[in-house]
Amino acid sequence: MNKDLKVIEFKNVTKEYKLYKNSKKRFLGIFSKKVKYKKKLAVDDVSFSICQGEAVALFGKNGAGKSTVLKMITGVTYPTTGDIEVNGRVSALLELTAGFDPELTGRENIYLKGQLYGLKDSEIAELEDEIVAFAEIDEYIDQPVRSYSSGMKARLGFAVSVNIRPEILIVDEALSVGDKNFRKKCLNKVNSIIEKENVTLLFVTHSIGTAREFCNRGMVMVKGKVIFDGDIDEAIELYNKQ
Amino acid sequence: MEAIKTIITEHIEWKNQIFKLAKADIIKTYSGAALGWIWALVRPTILIFVLWFAFTYGLRGGGPVEGYPFALWMIPGFMAWFFMSDMLTQGSNSMRKYRYLVTKMKFPISTIPTFIGLSKLLVHLCLMVIVCLIFICMGYFPDLYWLQLPLYILLMFVFFTGWALFASMLGAMSNDFINLVKSINTAIFWLSGIMWDVNSIGIPWLQTLLYFNPVTYIATGYRNCFIYKTWIWEEPTQFLIFLGMLIVMWLLAIWSYKKLIKEIPDVL
Repeated sequence: MNKDLKVIEFKNVTKEYKLYKNSKKRFLGIFSKKVKYKKKLAVDDVSFSICQGEAVALFGKNGAGKSTVLKMITGVTYPTTGDIEVNGRVSALLELTAGFDPELTGRENIYLKGQLYGLKDSEIAELEDEIVAFAEIDEYIDQPVRSYSSGMKARLGFAVSVNIRPEILIVDEALSVGDKNFRKKCLNKVNSIIEKENVTLLFVTHSIGTAREFCNRGMVMVKGKVIFDGDIDEAIELYNKQ
Repeated sequence: MEAIKTIITEHIEWKNQIFKLAKADIIKTYSGAALGWIWALVRPTILIFVLWFAFTYGLRGGGPVEGYPFALWMIPGFMAWFFMSDMLTQGSNSMRKYRYLVTKMKFPISTIPTFIGLSKLLVHLCLMVIVCLIFICMGYFPDLYWLQLPLYILLMFVFFTGWALFASMLGAMSNDFINLVKSINTAIFWLSGIMWDVNSIGIPWLQTLLYFNPVTYIATGYRNCFIYKTWIWEEPTQFLIFLGMLIVMWLLAIWSYKKLIKEIPDVL
């Protein structure tokens, strides 16, 4: 356990999306620099660092650049300029379906995801029962994921993400799914892995209550910039004012 | 250089997952069908049978080649084409097919075309076993020339994995490219000498031009093993031209990878 170890570090990170008029223009843009496109600045010169074991809430209105920041931490998307350093296994719940292959069964997906996160088959087998039980999908586990309801997909996604022993857990709104009981179960689970396993949590939400419950540090983003980084209560106050 | 290094290290570090994903790709294609992966073999087998029937009893146009019935002459080249055709179209679609690996998690996307290629390769190997059995049943027994087959399979796999990387990057950027490949697929089939004997063309410059077509080279290579009984080093010009094309293909693949790797997650 090392509270001073930086697990996520952003140095002057900027992310710019290229918006072409249509897919033809975008294709031509590969070969020629003359094709025009609009630039959309999603993240604008952002720097911060997060240490091991911290629980940070990220606030911001839709379009403030939160999801882009999370995607860059996960390594899914690349910054236009700037450096990002991430140390540790990142488990991200970016969207409800969280990267399941719809044609494979729930069980096959558990194995596939586990393998993609670098676990051995024997390790996954150990976690399997726990995941199935946590997701509460019982006999559906051997059905293809495309036949799942959105709630089932989200539960399975959540169950996999929290149970594969993440070192950095990123939760993007995913806790707002499922019924009350399931939500409570998720919160308890997140709480317990933060405390016991020293997981670093990055939490994106519009629900202030849940954020206050977990996090002691808050960041507020407006139009691609981080305008506040500090105590959770102050962050919430600032976010509410907007 | 940097891009080459990334591609190689990604393949080494993720080799286990590549094989798992190839397996999952096969399972996925045929899941939900009672006979499962057997379908992968049924379609080509029926086609072989139909072709044999049509060319033996129906169209009498195709006479025997080198003492082999026309149907037997055609089969090896046709099987190679099955793989190449799959790689041409499905290879260029591979990033789109596996977009969840690109946009939902950290995944070395240079390996996506590779595991798709491996999944097709496995089906192809099963088919080649069937082809060998057909030749044996017809009374043409294995000889030393058959030993070249793995080499041609390897050359084909390496070339079309390069293609798939190149094409899938472009295909991810625009659907137009995938449609383009689909439309010229049939043209490639008829122009590449899968159905006719390249060596029988009377026009020398056209024959030379066909040397530059990798599809022709591979299909002819398969036939060199089964029919023409030619060693690979007996046709050095063709081999060197193919190697040149292979290098060009991979340079294109690396160019498109380097150029588009950072854009693709935003576009898909």
